Amino acid sequence: MSWLLFGVLAALMCAGVPIAVALGLSGAAVIAAAKMGIMSVPVTVYAGIAKYPLIAIPVFILAGLIFERSGVAASLVRLAESLVGQRRGGLAVAAVLVCMVLGGISGSGPADSAAVGAIMIPAMTRAGYPREFTASLIAAGGSTAIIIPPSVAFIVYSILVPQASVPALFAAGLVPGVLAGGSLILASIFFSVRNDFGVRDTEARPPFWRSLKEASWALLAPVIILGGMRSGMFTPTEAAVVAVAYGLLVGAFAYRSLGWKEIWKLFEEAAEISAVILLLVGLAALFGWAVDTVGVFNEFAKWLTAKDTGETAVLLAITFMLLVAGTALDAVATYFIFLPFLLPVAAAYGWDPVWLGVIVTLNVAIGQFTPPTAVNLMITARLAGVTMESTTVWVLWFVGAMTAVLLLITFVPEIVLFLPRWLGYL
Amino acid sequence: MRETEYSQGPPPTLPPRARFRAERFLGAAAMAAICVITLGNVLARYFTDISFAFTEEVSVFLLVFLTFVGSAKAFLDGNQIAMEYLLLKLPWRWRRRGYLFSLAMCALMLGLLAWFGARMAWDDYDMEVTSPGLGWPQWIYTVWLPVLSLAVMARLVQGFVFIFKTKTP
Repeated sequence: MSWLLFGVLAALMCAGVPIAVALGLSGAAVIAAAKMGIMSVPVTVYAGIAKYPLIAIPVFILAGLIFERSGVAASLVRLAESLVGQRRGGLAVAAVLVCMVLGGISGSGPADSAAVGAIMIPAMTRAGYPREFTASLIAAGGSTAIIIPPSVAFIVYSILVPQASVPALFAAGLVPGVLAGGSLILASIFFSVRNDFGVRDTEARPPFWRSLKEASWALLAPVIILGGMRSGMFTPTEAAVVAVAYGLLVGAFAYRSLGWKEIWKLFEEAAEISAVILLLVGLAALFGWAVDTVGVFNEFAKWLTAKDTGETAVLLAITFMLLVAGTALDAVATYFIFLPFLLPVAAAYGWDPVWLGVIVTLNVAIGQFTPPTAVNLMITARLAGVTMESTTVWVLWFVGAMTAVLLLITFVPEIVLFLPRWLGYL
Repeated sequence: MRETEYSQGPPPTLPPRARFRAERFLGAAAMAAICVITLGNVLARYFTDISFAFTEEVSVFLLVFLTFVGSAKAFLDGNQIAMEYLLLKLPWRWRRRGYLFSLAMCALMLGLLAWFGARMAWDDYDMEVTSPGLGWPQWIYTVWLPVLSLAVMARLVQGFVFIFKTKTP
């Protein structure tokens, strides 16, 4: 049965069939072959999507789009520029900072890369950064979006692993997200100083206080979202809808950049982006149902833990496996395919489910900009007008930097867990 | 993902005459309705004693509605998450066959949902199942799964025919 499940999945995925459909069909094939009741196909898909916590996903995506399009991204770039100034590597540092803050509103890596790339790639090219370097850096920076709260990926993880609550995951993602961004900043400063990137930066440094005032509307958004959840005023879904209302008010009245027509377009676009993720969640539920019923992974996990394999070796093996998978899959698909196997292993070793979620998600984040199948890099390379192959020399350094952070939090779980514990979520 | 916006021109798989007006409108409307209901729920909780009993049931249904209405376009313009790396390396002659196979598989999935979804909705109607929250007949929600699956299938057929006719890109 497990051969049928993974054979069909791998064959369909390699043929370029959308991952959602590949997961759904392989699940349905097993359900049919095992005569487990074919009527569970529509029931599982319907019930997989019709879940109240999932409502946070389209609403956070909408909030992110509203902030991105209402001129907030540009105001953040000006603030970051005024902070770091014109020096070697200045714009590179600014780009990573903007990726981190914007990711803290929308929670979607490719959207983040596209928004920041559209503004920063022309500016950085004028200042003398090679296009390949810029494309690599922004693809890497955008990937921090799924770790820095609010993260769409963590909402799905929490549905699959109910012991890990959304507020706990959001709190747990904050420090690793900042560390990941920090490692990119260090790497970019190193290369900029060594290669004199950004010495041609001639654009006037924007005045700090005015930039701060303009960007303050944007900087308040994560405070409202996370603060509202922390104080218990809102559930994650409600925090998302409050962020939408706040973004619409800021866009319409503070920046005066959004009219009715633009707002409706944003609703259309948010619906399309969310539908892709939600369809994946629904069809992956079929795959999950098949895995649970056939019980493929329990045996494997039992075998693995019974063999007295050292915890370190298991952790390294899992990290390697997820890094490889992360280059081809997105966060949601990775959860559905690997969690049935990882959760029994985690239980056997007594790993914290919140920490496990952060580890798996950071793995996927690195995969998002690791060639050859990186989604973020595909977008930024296209924006910069370079081939993805030509970015390899730079992007591998950023992959290395973020992998160092990954190994750090893998072997020192307290870095992830102290914040949610201090806030009382664990 | 949102790749198509940043590439030059429309993707080769998107029929130029497909505008998705109905899907876009319904998707945005569902999105707006979800926001209004959820925001109303927050305001109602803090400023009045009224509880929105139907919040959860209706917004969860809107989520299913949004999913199917919104995903139709993504199947044709390449915005569904897929591993197209191998496919893009092939010459058009083979890439075209890859796209046709992929669309056929998507149609098979949606076909399964439409066929068995119709039986699920019929069972709900036949056995007079009521919804857990409001006590409404369950089939008024579940009937949309086969209906919308068929609507997505219609778009898949449209895309299939278009690519089938595109002998050279």
